[in-house]
Amino acid sequence: MATPSSLDALVAALRCLPGVGPKSAQRMVYHLLQHDPRGAERLAKALETALRTLRHCDRCNNFTEAEVCDRCLSSKRDPSQLCVVEMPADLNIMEQTHAFQGLYYVLMGRLSPLDGIGPRELAFDRLLARASDGVVKEVILATNLTNEGEATAHYLSEMLHARGVKVSRIARGLPLGSELEYSDAASVAQAFIERRDY
Amino acid sequence: MTPPHSRVTQQRQRVDGAAAFLLHAYPYSETSLILEVFARDHGRLAILARGARRPRSALRAVLVSFQPLELGWFGGGEVKTLAKAEWLGGMPLLAREGLLLGYYLNELLLKLLPREDAHANLFDAYAAALAALSRGATETAELRRFEKAMLRELGYGLLLDHDGAGNEIDVAGRYRYLVERGAMPEALAESGVLVTGKTLLDLAADDYSDARSLAESKQLMRHLLSHYLSGQPLQTRRVFLELQDV
Repeated sequence: MATPSSLDALVAALRCLPGVGPKSAQRMVYHLLQHDPRGAERLAKALETALRTLRHCDRCNNFTEAEVCDRCLSSKRDPSQLCVVEMPADLNIMEQTHAFQGLYYVLMGRLSPLDGIGPRELAFDRLLARASDGVVKEVILATNLTNEGEATAHYLSEMLHARGVKVSRIARGLPLGSELEYSDAASVAQAFIERRDY
Repeated sequence: MTPPHSRVTQQRQRVDGAAAFLLHAYPYSETSLILEVFARDHGRLAILARGARRPRSALRAVLVSFQPLELGWFGGGEVKTLAKAEWLGGMPLLAREGLLLGYYLNELLLKLLPREDAHANLFDAYAAALAALSRGATETAELRRFEKAMLRELGYGLLLDHDGAGNEIDVAGRYRYLVERGAMPEALAESGVLVTGKTLLDLAADDYSDARSLAESKQLMRHLLSHYLSGQPLQTRRVFLELQDV
């Protein structure tokens, strides 16, 4: 007997999630339909609402329900510092540090030439416009310390310098509390190469 | 009893201590990566690195592009399984423009190098180009040197000191270079890339000190590569041009 088409469609739809193959998609579907129909309804409603109400903040590009998000509107934040991160999860960890009181811009990705992701896909022009609003005095590039993150930071810094904005880059070094003996050689090498006067 | 050839097969399926570079990596399942690797004695390979995307994976600091690695893997299929990966070091991380030039080299290898075909000389040329980029060289001369070595290694060697008819190249002459046929005196050919005799001889000698030779070499190489890429566009070139535009 053929599987009902609505069931097939649901399995296929769940496969858009990262790391979900046909087997796990099918498991999720049977679980939702058989054991948790109310959970399934909640999921459907939440997805529908999120898709309808969420958009990118006009100022920081993070997800928000308003045109401009609460953080960008907050009077407690310092609008002269703008921290550029790759993803919303990176913004969350920066917030956990309590080290930064400025505002953010979320790129929603990184330059990855081999995957065809360039300045157009990342809408570099929006960030450049945001950073040249006359209020921002310093842009802090907090893209990842990977080759892609480093390439992103480099090109952004060139473009921002050209617009007369002061640019800084988060430092690279060894994790707090780490001992050289137990650190990976690549990180120790880079920490050595980038050593500073002391 | 085990047939006598099976041990050989097993040995062939397990590789240890292979000098290699990571060209690219794609996410695979929730926590793994498929690596595109260029190994000196094994050519271009796809290797599955299980768990490489876990938050605390020790592989994170090892599986880095543009860095000399020593890899071990097993498996006889198209996708091998990573057994061991070590970072060898000795080459600073690429930085600034060097990164994009590095990606360009990687894209050429990914698109032109057939799988599991060892090219030790090309590997050495790639390592030398990366070493130059890591020292901060951004002259396009490094790219031309590598492109020429790559075409030679892949069997598309250029004919640079004689023209298509077998006559020596005249340093003051003007030629049109035709794919697979070589240089023809300008008067005798209608298509092909226009180059001076000096450019051909400079390219043969890897001497890019003359600005005109460098510029013409670039045009010639672009034409040849686009032929061997069968018109596939290069993403790195598109991204580079877009970055100039912003």
